Amino acid sequence: MEQIDRRWVYLLVGLAVVIPFIIPMKFPVSVSPEAQSFYDAVEALPDSCTVMLVFDYYPSTVAETEPMAVVGARHLFRKHCKIITLTNIPYGAPSMAESVTRRVAAETGKEYGKDFVNLGYKYGYVSVLKGMGQSIESIFPTDNSGTPLSELPMMDSITNYRQISFIFEVADNATADYWISIVNAGYGVPMGVAMTAVMAPKYYAYVGSKQIVGLLGGMKGAAEYEILLGQPDTAFRGMDIQSLVHFLIIAFVIVGNIAFFVGRAQRRKGRAA
Amino acid sequence: MRTAAPVFVAFASGLILVVAFFFNEETTTIGKLSHQLLDWVIIVGGFTLLLGLVSITRVNWAAVKRRSDGWIYKLFTIIAIFVTAIPSVLSPDWSPLFGRARGSIFDWLFNYLQAPMMATMFATLAFYIASAAYRAFRARNAEATILLLTATLVMLWRVPIGEALLNLLPGNIPDLINTYVMNGANLAVQRGIIVGAALGAASMSLRIILGIERTYMGKG
Repeated sequence: MEQIDRRWVYLLVGLAVVIPFIIPMKFPVSVSPEAQSFYDAVEALPDSCTVMLVFDYYPSTVAETEPMAVVGARHLFRKHCKIITLTNIPYGAPSMAESVTRRVAAETGKEYGKDFVNLGYKYGYVSVLKGMGQSIESIFPTDNSGTPLSELPMMDSITNYRQISFIFEVADNATADYWISIVNAGYGVPMGVAMTAVMAPKYYAYVGSKQIVGLLGGMKGAAEYEILLGQPDTAFRGMDIQSLVHFLIIAFVIVGNIAFFVGRAQRRKGRAA
Repeated sequence: MRTAAPVFVAFASGLILVVAFFFNEETTTIGKLSHQLLDWVIIVGGFTLLLGLVSITRVNWAAVKRRSDGWIYKLFTIIAIFVTAIPSVLSPDWSPLFGRARGSIFDWLFNYLQAPMMATMFATLAFYIASAAYRAFRARNAEATILLLTATLVMLWRVPIGEALLNLLPGNIPDLINTYVMNGANLAVQRGIIVGAALGAASMSLRIILGIERTYMGKG
């Protein structure tokens, strides 16, 4: 029992992932104070303000991070905010930003260049974040497709962070630290962080110090935001799968420990005999 | 000279950026100079990416020529790099397949090859974590037991059905976990790590600026 064939473990995990796709369970999702304060801060932004939606995540974590980016874009477009997307991750993040914003823009009838702009990626996050404090155009002379910023109507009135009302950071790595320490601390731009569940515990420290207005932790955080927005979607459905897999892992831990203690007792008994 | 010049560049650059922090970056000369330096970082960084491309091509091409172990994978690496890179740097004015916009070769390769492959690799972690939980997560001593209990509670708290179950118990356990585990013990430890790392980074930066730390030049 202590050394069960791992294929059984894999089979059970596979079933726990697949079954909720076939039979949705729709467990009720409660909202954490961190997600609530994040939502409230975005809700309190003036309509038509400009917000940076940052895609600092790799394609590997897209299942967890993309629902957070989608709810962010939905909320901002619903408030008729102008969205600037950019990334510090060269690994495909500009394409992900493009695909998320265009998909959500199509839902809400927003137009590229007028309502949202994708700046793409530029090497050197510290230089990029500092540089945009003086001039966004000096760091990103063109958008992700090579169109000069001067040809995009939305960018006419945007020079630097002074015109940015909020930063909505979606990340799976520590680049959020630089946004906090350089842009929030240096330029006073309020920000919220949507982070993978594995990275989220670190950012409670920044919520506690009020350097970020709120925190979305993993798919649960995205599901909470979807509930607040009144539009349950991918993350809400994902909660069924995550619930079952978490329960399965807890069951494995309990069974594994029972087997360990029983085995140890038997070994001790054997030695004593 | 080979040592003195890089040390001087590091000293001057570091000093300018530190001093510029205390001045208005838009109106003062030192503020503008610091932004000039940051622009140079971006330009130099672009060249390092090019250097990386040259390096990975040389290393892998040498292995392909020698037919060393796994040479076929190295050949695929080289092909993948150039098939992705070349269309992405060509002008979209020539063809909508070039550049990095939606519908380009680069975009297609990313969305339909790279992203699903990376997500698949990451998803397999769930299977390994489950297996490891069964095999290795043991309450062998007091510390391991505390870790195990805390992890179990947090895992329950992070999913809706677990939270509903915890709510069946007396006392508001989900709220207690949020207050005392995540915003209590976790927050305190994370803050200590963040402050410690920041102090470490500051002291390392100072060592580089003052020329004490020279390992970035390949010297001890």
